[in-house]
Amino acid sequence: MNRFPTLSTRRLHLRAPQARDLDAYAAFYADADASGWYGGPLRRDEAWRQLAQEVGHWHLRGFGVWTLVRKDDGRVIGATGLHHPEGWPRHELTWWLVPHSRGAGYAAEASEAVIAFAINTLGWPAVETHILDGNIAAHRLARRLGGEVIAREAFPDGHERDVYRLATNETAGEAIGERPGEASTTQREGSA
Amino acid sequence: MTGMAPVIDTARLRLRAPRLKDFGPYAAYYASPRAVWEDGPLDMARAWKEFASGAGLWSLRGYGSLSIEDRATGAYLGETGIYHPAHYLEPELGWMVVAEAEGRGIAREAAIAARDWAYRVRGLPPLLNYIDPRNLRSIRLAERLGARHDPAAPVPEGEGPCIVMRHPGPEEIAA
Repeated sequence: MNRFPTLSTRRLHLRAPQARDLDAYAAFYADADASGWYGGPLRRDEAWRQLAQEVGHWHLRGFGVWTLVRKDDGRVIGATGLHHPEGWPRHELTWWLVPHSRGAGYAAEASEAVIAFAINTLGWPAVETHILDGNIAAHRLARRLGGEVIAREAFPDGHERDVYRLATNETAGEAIGERPGEASTTQREGSA
Repeated sequence: MTGMAPVIDTARLRLRAPRLKDFGPYAAYYASPRAVWEDGPLDMARAWKEFASGAGLWSLRGYGSLSIEDRATGAYLGETGIYHPAHYLEPELGWMVVAEAEGRGIAREAAIAARDWAYRVRGLPPLLNYIDPRNLRSIRLAERLGARHDPAAPVPEGEGPCIVMRHPGPEEIAA
């Protein structure tokens, strides 16, 4: 029984993180500017722990982040998924890309597939994310995904964040998966 | 693929894959001064990283952390298992028990079961512990498990003060 579902979009395969993704994790977390919003920068051994933690999240929660693999050349370019550490007040849609893969719409493409999975397969009523004020790129992407700010809250790390609702099971049908060529398909490997 | 983690029963204990509900008592242990030799005390976010990365090891390496459950009551007593983050040079046998499980030989019983599983099922070479030299309690338990100080073994970079205790290998245990 495989508990790690895969997703597919026009340009990307989404699969659970694996040990061979370490180079991409290390490359992202070595980029202080971008990874600073995600607890970085991290040394390579710390990036490995981050990778192991993401895998463990799947084991413990039954959902997590997927590794993004380009269909055309097989390169690992980042991660997108659903994150909810125990003790943290809200789940979030999260994403990151290695430096050379930004600005090409990959995060939005992967996010739409993940949102559709959360609503259609996990049965979530809504998908959220919460973002620190200075992370301009993330705010832009949240709005591009149809996100609306539904709250502003202080989180356990002492920082306030805007909370976005990205899609609900009422809005997902119109917002996601209905553009030609961008519809996401979901399959589970083996029996669920 | 949590199915890769075994269920191991001992006289008093059940070792099994970590579950979400174990995290409360796990985080309470790491928040307490008792975790001072385990890089603690840790806040909940850091404790989650430790907890989840131990669980994730099962997919990445085929071994990892195991929760210790009281067979009689189902209570969570702590964690043991085989730890191997990127900068470790070899797999480590580890253990921790919550305050209520102290002084009853729980860590010893659990660690022996995890060690024997690692040898028998995974065929791992003689395991070690990286231990802070001031953590006398843990050094004593390692000694009770038959481990000896291994001054020749290299220490991982960035681990701070650390000695290596080397456990008996499978042949030594069988003899």
